[in-house]
Amino acid sequence: MIFLIEYNRSEGRIITFREYGESQWQEAGNARLEIELELNRQGVEHEVVLLEAENEEALHRTHQRYFADLTEILKSATVR
Amino acid sequence: MKNPLSKTQIDQLGDRLRAGSHTEEDLRLLDDYRLSFREAYETVVQKIRGYGEFPTGRVDKSTLSIVEKLRRESIRLSQMQDIAGCRVKLADILQQDHFVASLRTLFPGASVIDRRDKPSHGYRAVHVIAEVSGKPIEIQVRTALQHLWAELSEKCSDVLDPAIKYGGGPDEWRNRLTSISKSVAIYEKFEKAHEEFEKAHSEFEKAVAELPDHHETNQKLRRKLEVSTRGIEESRGEKVRLWNVNADLLNKMISRLDDLKRQRQ
Repeated sequence: MIFLIEYNRSEGRIITFREYGESQWQEAGNARLEIELELNRQGVEHEVVLLEAENEEALHRTHQRYFADLTEILKSATVR
Repeated sequence: MKNPLSKTQIDQLGDRLRAGSHTEEDLRLLDDYRLSFREAYETVVQKIRGYGEFPTGRVDKSTLSIVEKLRRESIRLSQMQDIAGCRVKLADILQQDHFVASLRTLFPGASVIDRRDKPSHGYRAVHVIAEVSGKPIEIQVRTALQHLWAELSEKCSDVLDPAIKYGGGPDEWRNRLTSISKSVAIYEKFEKAHEEFEKAHSEFEKAVAELPDHHETNQKLRRKLEVSTRGIEESRGEKVRLWNVNADLLNKMISRLDDLKRQRQ
């Protein structure tokens, strides 16, 4: 699956989150570009990424930073 | 398909992005440039899937990250090796070593950047740069603990100070991250040695169990096995102790964050 994420770094939170199927690369790419163009017009600096993962759970495992706050990341690490 | 950008055009685009003088057309050009990595990215990910791992792919680097890297380093856009890439998270260093060796076979000629013994501002991982049709694709291979540290560092940079990730920012947080990185490195080195010891001990134990009881040599081997068993028990205890050092550092960081939250309320 393809995931489009618009992320506000300083606030540490996701602004936009969309899912696309494996065959929707072009749609996802176009949507990403549209968001970037709009952010550029507004002078807003957000991170906009396209990520590919087996499912959303796998995405959370490898890109926890987008979904969890600092304390949650730390707490997840102490469970072993 | 549009005509590919020349190297000069790519670097001029990079210069405009670095200077912050880029236009909407430049963002479209950057998108086309990133798109030119897609086929190589797909090839790399398919090969890794064929091997049995399912990496998470960052299909292409975000504009913000590209601009920051151009400003931070004296690098040209055409030289960036991480425009597209993917990430594999594995349990421990033994699995990481094994997987990196497999990547070398899957992608002959790939360059390997091992940041485990020489971390970059505390960041430890192995990056394998595979080249497909002239396009570099970065494969990040991390253990669970290396990954945890990277996530912590990124999140601290996001919400506390962007400079933390590159060795700057407030001393307190940089020092906390450095301590965790060093502690994790010690733990992982010990864990690797311990796992090898466990394996050897288990094989020794199995071999001794198959021997007849009465032979004198076998009695000697049994005594050696007892020594090895005591060694394994001590090693297991040391592994737990070293993990507790990590956990203590993490818990102290949680407490400090809780203090800060309370102060802000």
